[in-house]
Order: sequence, then structure tokens, then C-alpha cells
Amino acid sequence: MTREISVELQKVSKLYGQDKVVDEVSFTVEKGEVFVMIGPSGCGKTTTLKMINQLIPHSSGNILVNGTDVAELDVVELRRSIGYVIQYIGLLPHLTIQENIAFVLKLTKHPKKMQKDRAEELIETVGLPLNYLNRYPRELSGGQQQRVGVARALAANPDILLMDEPFGAVDPLTREQLQNELLRLQESIQKTIVFVTHDMQEAFKVGNRIGILRQGKLVCLGTPMEIVKSDDEFVKNFIGQGALFEVFDTIPVTRVLQKDFPTARYDQKVDLQAEELEDWENVFIIDSDDSCKGYIPLSSLNSDGSYTADQIIPLPKASSPDISVKLAVQEMLWGGRTWLPIVDEKSGFKGIVQFRSCAGLVAGDRR
Amino acid sequence: MELLSSAWAYFINRQDLMFEVLKEHVTLVLWATFFTIIIGVPVGIAISRTEKLRNMILGSVSVLYTIPILALFGFLIPIMGIGSTPALIALIIYGLLPVIRNSCVGITQVHPMLKESAKGMGANNLQLLFRVEIPLAFPVIFAGIRTALVMNFSLATYAVFIGAGGMGRIIMQGIRTFNTGMMLAGILMVVITTVLLERMVGVIDNRIQKRYSLSD
Ligand SMILES: Nc1ncnc2c1ncn2[C@@H]1O[C@H](COP(=O)(O)OP(=O)(O)OP(=O)(O)O)[C@@H](O)[C@H]1O
Ligand SMILES: [Mg+2]
Repeated sequence: MTREISVELQKVSKLYGQDKVVDEVSFTVEKGEVFVMIGPSGCGKTTTLKMINQLIPHSSGNILVNGTDVAELDVVELRRSIGYVIQYIGLLPHLTIQENIAFVLKLTKHPKKMQKDRAEELIETVGLPLNYLNRYPRELSGGQQQRVGVARALAANPDILLMDEPFGAVDPLTREQLQNELLRLQESIQKTIVFVTHDMQEAFKVGNRIGILRQGKLVCLGTPMEIVKSDDEFVKNFIGQGALFEVFDTIPVTRVLQKDFPTARYDQKVDLQAEELEDWENVFIIDSDDSCKGYIPLSSLNSDGSYTADQIIPLPKASSPDISVKLAVQEMLWGGRTWLPIVDEKSGFKGIVQFRSCAGLVAGDRR
Repeated sequence: MELLSSAWAYFINRQDLMFEVLKEHVTLVLWATFFTIIIGVPVGIAISRTEKLRNMILGSVSVLYTIPILALFGFLIPIMGIGSTPALIALIIYGLLPVIRNSCVGITQVHPMLKESAKGMGANNLQLLFRVEIPLAFPVIFAGIRTALVMNFSLATYAVFIGAGGMGRIIMQGIRTFNTGMMLAGILMVVITTVLLERMVGVIDNRIQKRYSLSD
């Protein structure tokens, strides 16, 4: 299956005088993926990001957004169609939070009512109380401002988001929380995100793929697993020793989560011929209210696929989707099982993680 | 004491005249300030964009600013004669420096990051100017307008020399007719109204600065 490409850079360079701060960078960002750009300070991350929405014009090469060369687009329209979370947040101090969130809608002259509704919707999306809408940015903490920054970028419901160190200015705990929230949000909104950071952990955590920049050159590009296995000396030094283990400790379990596990309706026989049973040891029994009653090992089913209610084993203790792959494996080891149910406090049953897919990360399975 | 009471007596007896000169004075100052704003703010914003133009304009406005007002009148009378027009022009010239300078400084002080953030969201040049730069520069621009207004109010006392009336009339007439009560009444009136104006604008200014520093 070929995936749709949202952003493509073809040998893009940026010169300031004689300085080549971005040097023939090429990459593609697929629709719905989080592409992380990382590298030491001054390596050209922000510059590359800003060339995508043409806040900085590129000196050479081509930049395609949804298949169209940005050179053929009106820059103002282009920017309105792309969400942008600026490094250092940049909320407008003279506007309330509501006005900040709805700023793009105001620029595009949407009705007041709609601006208000959208701001209310988005402030909830990023987990802030409604009454914050009347505050000024000054009256919010750093972490809260970052959330507003994200809400603001989502206002016009763009397909593409550019995020420049969106969680740069907060303490590690808040940062982790914001990352988890972004991942959850991303699961429901499925935006194409180009994400800049200089924190390797963050890159492993939020990135489907990661590009490492060094002095304006893209030196390495791949999934977190591919990155940690790179032979490049600079990359090895940059990500540090032990990164392989770090990856397991940061990659969220949702990356290896299986949503299409074999199920059977309660009171119905299991169709033993079903293709979905392949590779699974258990079948999960779904009740009439769509909740999961428990599971039955395939081996204990009768030969015609029938079973009795007392064969159903209740689900073991579930884990939150925020945990890392490492923690998931740990849970499996503790429980003496090769799989783990994942349940979200709010949205309920998410799926099953198998030991096999965790191990599959090592083999370089995508995502 | 005697002087004061004679001034007071004059004030009470000639309320109509007092009111008339005050009206002339305020009208002149308000018009001058109005023109200062509609010329000064756009010029200030325009020169905030280009350094060359900035130095030239600020330089020449500063030179004009240093000319004593009586010399300026001497300069304007041959061109425009006497009356309220040359007085208005003179006041506008003095008011321009603080307004232009503050508008320019206010706009250049807007953090580039904020401008970039607005641009990144798709603000065009006009939207950037009216929705971001001017509102953010407003406290500084207003401080310039405040300076111009208060200065013009006290300078307008000289307008009498060019036949444009105002509170200076009472003082001049008092001097000319050796009526110290009248002279003192005029002086007191100028001092008191200027102080009052200064206070009033100061209160507004404080509110603005507070409102904006809160949201800084
Ligand atoms: N306007 C400019 N003129 C000249 N050089 C510039 C300009 N803007 C940026 N640079 C240079 O380009 C390089 C890349 O800058 P950029 O802001 O993209 O770095 P970055 O990777 O985002 O760094 P950081 O992690 O510190 O944000 C830097 O060396 C910087 O000095
Ligand atoms: Mg940067």
C-alpha cells in the first residue's frame, strides 16, 4: 500500500550569505505520521520547519505540501492551512486565551459565534478548564501556555501541524504529560505532524520516524529502531550509549498495540477457520454491550468452536496506553503471560499488546 | 493675599471671559493633537520599517522641535499671517516629535517572535499591523500622545502672540493694562488646568500601561 505524502522536501537548501544553514535536505512526511527533526542547537531545525510554511523562503530545492510546490501557493493561504506551534509558544499578550486560540479564524473572518465555539471545543481538547478562555496568557503557567499553543494551531483544523519544540519550556513531568496528551490527541485527529525537538527521548516517544540534522545536513533518517541501530559515528554519539534500551523505555506501547485481535460474540461459537485467529493463542469474548467479557485459550475450545461460560477467563489487570513498551513487557513478565490488555481510563478498551510485537520492534517492524 | 483675592475677584467677575478663553485654548489644543496623531502615528510606523528614512525624519523633526516658539511664529507669520492656522501649525510641529518617535519605538519594540507567530498563523501585512503591532505598541504610542497633548496645552498659552487667543490672552491683557489681578488670574488658570490635564491623562495612561503589562 502506498501512503499519501503530505510534505516533501527535495534537496532543499537555505543560504544566509555564504552560510549554508540547511544543506540539500530531502525527506517525505506521510499523511498521519509524526516526523521528528532533531539535532544539536543551531543545526537548522527551526529553519527547515519555517521553510515548510515559508516563514523563511528557501534558497533552492522544492518543497511540496499536499503535492503542490509551495512556490506556486499564496504564502498567506499556505500558512492558514498549516497549524504552527512556534518555539517559545508566542501567544499574543494583548489577547485573551479565547482570542489567541481563535486568531486564525478571526484572520479568515469566521463569525464570532464560531470563533467562540471552536475555542471552547479546543480548550477542552487540550485539557484546560473553560473559564481560562477569559484569561490573558500572562495568567497561565508555562505548561498551560504550551497547551494553548497547541489548541491555537488546531483552530482552523489543518491537516498538517508544524511544532517547534512545543514542550520545550516546561519541567520534565509536565513535559511527559504533554507528550502523552499529544499522542492521545494524535490518535483521534491523525494529523500529519512535523515535530522539532532536541530531546532524544521525546523524539523516540512521539516520532513515527526521526530525522537527525547536523550542521544543516540530514545525516540519518528512520524509525526509532533504525536510528538506534545506525552505524554513523555522529548519530551514535548524539543518541548516546544505551539508547537501544532507552527506546524501549520511551516508545509508547500504543505503537505496537493491536486493535484487530480475534473476537467472538458471547453465546456464539468461535469460527475456527477464521483467518484472524492465525498467530493468536486466545480468542476474546465480546458481550452484547461491546465490553470484553474475558478470553478463552484456543486450545481449550471444543473442536467445533463451542465453549461454556465457565471456560471464559476474566481479563488480567489492564495497563494504560501511556506506558512504554518496556513497562508493558515487564507487566507481561510479572503476570506470566505473553500479552497485555490496554485500557484507557476515558475511552475504554484499546486493544492487546503481544510480546511478539514488542520483540518485533528489534527486528525493525515499522511503527 | 491681597493679590490672590484680587485674582479671585477677577475670576468671579469675568467668568464669561474665562470660559471663552478656555474654550479657545482647548479647541486649539485638541485640533493640534488630533492632527499630530493622524500625521505622527502613520509617519512613526512608516519610518519603523526603514532605518534610513527613520534617521532622516527623526533628525529633522528634532531640529524643528528645538526652535523656540516665538521664532517659529516669526517664521510662520510671513507665510500664513496671524490667526489660529499658524498657531495650529506650530503646535502640530512641536507635538510631532514625541508622537513620531514613540510610534516608531513602540512598533520596533514589538517582539519579532510575536510577529512571526502571527505571520505563521497566516496574518497578512495589514492584519499584522492592526491586530498585532499597533495594539502591542499602543502603550508606548499613547505615552507619546500624552506628552504631545500636555506640552501643547502649555505651549498654547503663547498662541496669543499670533492672535489665536487662548488663556494667554488674560495674562497678556493683565500685563498690558497693569492689572495684576487679571494677570494672576490668567497664570493661575493656566497652571491649574495644565496640572489637572496632566493628572487626568496620567490616570488614563496608568490604566493602559497596567492593562497591557498584565497581559505582557
Ligand atoms: N537570519 C539569519 N541570518 C543568518 N544566520 C541565521 C539566521 N537565522 C538563523 N541563522 C543560523 O542558522 C543556523 C540554524 O538556525 P536554526 O534556528 O534553524 O537552528 P535550530 O536547529 O532551530 O537551533 P535551536 O535548537 O537552538 O532552536 C544557526 O547557525 C543560526 O545561527
Ligand atoms: Mg530552533
